[in-house]
Amino acid sequence: MSANPRKGITTSSTAEYFSKNLQQVGFSSQTKAVLTTLKEAVDNSLDACEDHGILPELRVLVEKSGAGTLKNSDRIRVRVEDNGPGIPPEDIPKVFGEYLASSKFGRGRCSRGQQGIGISAATTWAQLTTATGARVISKTAGQRKALSCLVEVDIKNNKGTLKEKDTIDWDRPHGTSVEFELDGRIQLNGEAGLTNYLLGNVLVNPHMTLHYKLQDADWVTVERVTNEIPKIPDSVEPHPHTMKLGEFIAHSHLFGRVKVEAWLRKGFSRVTPSVIEAMKKTQGIKKALLEKNVDQAGDADFKELYAALQNVELMAPSTQSVLSIGEHALEKSIQRLGDVDFFSVVTRRPAICDFKPVQVEVAIARQKNRAAGTDADEPAQVLRFANRVPLQFDKAACAIVGALTTVNWRTYGLAQPKASLPIGPYVMAVSVVSPFIKFKNASKETIDSSDELVEEIRRALMMAGQRLSRHIKSEARAADLERRIQHIEQFGPILVEGLVRITGASASRKAKAEEGLRKILGRDAKEAQAAVTEANEKLEEHLKASRARRGEADDDEGGGEAPEEIVEAPPEKAKVLKKSGGKKAPPPAKGKAKAKGRERALRADGVEIFGSESPAMEEPGEGSPGMEG
Amino acid sequence: MARTEEAIIKLSKRLCDMMLGDLEKAKRPVLEATKCALDNTLYNHKVGYLTPGGKMVRTELNVSSVKKMSRAVFMLEVLLRNIDSGAVNTKRELYYISKGEIKHSPRLKPLDFEEQDESDETIDFITEMLECYREDMNCYANDRGGQTYSQQLVVEETLPDGTKATIELSQLGTSPFQPKNRPQNLKLRTKGKVDFALIVESEGTANTLVANGFTKRNKCILLGAQGVPSNAVRGWAKRIQDQLAIPMYFFGDLDAYTLQNIYRTLKAGSAASLIRNSDYSAPDVKFLGVLPEDIEKYDLPDYAVKESDPQEARALKKASDALKNDPFFRDSRNKGLAKILHWLLKNKRRCEQQSFFSVSPKDPVMPEKIILEKIKNRVYV
Repeated sequence: MSANPRKGITTSSTAEYFSKNLQQVGFSSQTKAVLTTLKEAVDNSLDACEDHGILPELRVLVEKSGAGTLKNSDRIRVRVEDNGPGIPPEDIPKVFGEYLASSKFGRGRCSRGQQGIGISAATTWAQLTTATGARVISKTAGQRKALSCLVEVDIKNNKGTLKEKDTIDWDRPHGTSVEFELDGRIQLNGEAGLTNYLLGNVLVNPHMTLHYKLQDADWVTVERVTNEIPKIPDSVEPHPHTMKLGEFIAHSHLFGRVKVEAWLRKGFSRVTPSVIEAMKKTQGIKKALLEKNVDQAGDADFKELYAALQNVELMAPSTQSVLSIGEHALEKSIQRLGDVDFFSVVTRRPAICDFKPVQVEVAIARQKNRAAGTDADEPAQVLRFANRVPLQFDKAACAIVGALTTVNWRTYGLAQPKASLPIGPYVMAVSVVSPFIKFKNASKETIDSSDELVEEIRRALMMAGQRLSRHIKSEARAADLERRIQHIEQFGPILVEGLVRITGASASRKAKAEEGLRKILGRDAKEAQAAVTEANEKLEEHLKASRARRGEADDDEGGGEAPEEIVEAPPEKAKVLKKSGGKKAPPPAKGKAKAKGRERALRADGVEIFGSESPAMEEPGEGSPGMEG
Repeated sequence: MARTEEAIIKLSKRLCDMMLGDLEKAKRPVLEATKCALDNTLYNHKVGYLTPGGKMVRTELNVSSVKKMSRAVFMLEVLLRNIDSGAVNTKRELYYISKGEIKHSPRLKPLDFEEQDESDETIDFITEMLECYREDMNCYANDRGGQTYSQQLVVEETLPDGTKATIELSQLGTSPFQPKNRPQNLKLRTKGKVDFALIVESEGTANTLVANGFTKRNKCILLGAQGVPSNAVRGWAKRIQDQLAIPMYFFGDLDAYTLQNIYRTLKAGSAASLIRNSDYSAPDVKFLGVLPEDIEKYDLPDYAVKESDPQEARALKKASDALKNDPFFRDSRNKGLAKILHWLLKNKRRCEQQSFFSVSPKDPVMPEKIILEKIKNRVYV
């Protein structure tokens, strides 16, 4: 095969490539275009706030602004405003108009964005469909006035260009507002709907306050439930066993003129002096090679080093680079999803799956409004998160759904058809956090299901199932008591009357027998009541234990800040979604400072505290639904 | 065992009186019934049928059983009323009668049966408790199977009003005699000698044999079982055995289902009907075939058991369980039958009764010839 000499081989810019392949990054349909645009803007805002230690407050607007140019499309306005640090004017064209310009690329951190593709793709889509790029207003703390401009992508050169630049007064110390006008269609409901996306974000970002207005509905405000900003752990050096040869060689270029040994020890995690020794002794690596300058090493040298490293035993990668939302924050956050009967949350200890550090967290809640509705027989609602970004497409292939359907939920008292999602008014949220999540595609819609990851998720789900089953059992006991009492009232008299008719017994015998029956069945009722009381006591013990695990005092009077993991959420606590203009959620009460202190104390122990559940008690085993509740 | 109406009424009243007495003393009444299950089944070849062991099912009144007991007392009242008035019903009819009673008496609403299974269970519980047949309580099943042909047999039936009817089977033309669910009312005699009785598993094949002149050429009684024998067929076979004392043969498929569910039930009864096996089994019936050796001798077409078919797979599993747990197949006198089960499990093949028609396709009487040859040469188990 030879290239046509007249045509020659051309190269195209990254922007050109993506502008022709936007479907690869989430713009494969009109509804997805709207969702992806919103998602990229929200991800960027939240990442920026977290990086600068700011408690995020976002205003999201998605509305129709006219007819679209594409067939069957509407012109949609998507605006996301944040109170983040703002973007320095010189960086604005890079952020919104240049592909692969990212502050996060390859850093090995658990940020939402990773490559610097998404928001530029959103600008490109808007530009291609409405001939208008991203309208940005941004102000950093150092600026007196905000910069307002229109960013467009120079597709030929992969550069962002600024138009209609203006400086304006903006009523906030710092922040960014980005607005896109694009062709698309709004899908509000369903798994892939905007509402689901926003609620998902609400769940995994307890520290975020969100104001949103979708289409013609009123503004809705969801207040933050914690003032703790998740601390994003520092990145760690890459682990040699997670790299390919090409990456290994490319990694060396970052180090300039240093000795190979120094490069191996500083540039990678888990390469210790004893590992270097082992490379020499068991893999035959020469001392001369280790003392060579890395920039002088040839491909053969790298191959030899790479092969040797793959063959020596290394400690598993560190798990310190993962971050968790934490059980405490999840507990508060899940109650923002609506009226909740009861719930359970689990934060697993960080683990290594496929040589990558991963942390899995699960929150399961039973919703009151769904229980009362007609859809109680529908499968549980699944919320999936990867690095705290909601995943809404291609559910069937996802590791999370794979794990959910292979857990035997019947053991924990839930209904479940074979190899399917459990049935009932439950919300099951699973968050997977890792600096190296393996997605199935570039649009990051589905987590690749490796056996190890699915097993890790399953374990988290089983633990959550065990905790949930205590509530379900306690409820079942109460229902049982109710049924027993009903039995006594219903059947007792009928039985006696039947016996009296057949035997032709006297009225006095009848009265005596009725009295006797009441005594017998009353004793049964007492026993049933005792069983219910015992179940409730066990549940209470479990709740105390879980509060103690988090270092909470039992009689915490700062209840405004710390809702308990509880059976009956009080209406004022449960009803968190409020229309703007309505009564604001109560400000954090006096317990706030105390609670904050607690959280800090916990963090001082390092991230592992979130997985400090006692595995001996709770390490799941499917046959045994944990302790009797 | 069968009980008279008076005995049932007396026993029922005594039972209810006892329950009432217990209640008056605030003591939990306990109802006991024979446990009708394989783990309470005994077999002694001298007795000839499956009999109950000593295990009882005890139902003590508590909040969980109060519904069951109330339903039992309610249904007992309905059945006693039937005995009193002489009315008879099927289980299905009793289900609707109960629903009607409940509809007219809202207080009884909690007792309502949602499905017939529930009222059936209640009726079974009552009969097990009183150790009587449901027919004794005027509850009859429909008379399925047992269509009988004979040129010699004469049946005398005692009707409920005490009058007697005589049925001469040779006078029925092509119509068969249909035995009733309460064979205790039938008395048999024969005009002249009868050589044997043949029970054919398939009703269709039984009719074919008769149409081709089997009962004209042979002094016999021929009846079709129509699959798993109903109470009518079982009681009828027992009646023929006891009153005529003639050799009896069963002719059916060679497969695990036929051997266990059809033949064993006919010969020795079942675990589910332990209390009625004495009147509803004919221990003298021999298994004429199809036998494994017949396949070779007559070159019969057989075929492999489809283990993918749930019903056939279940039959095989049951056969292997039967060899381990069923006292009937474990008894040394039934070694021959156990051997057939072993053969079926090992070879996983089956052969149908109709395969006899393949031996000489142009001769419609060939199956009859083979049956007679087998009887003559005593080729049966």
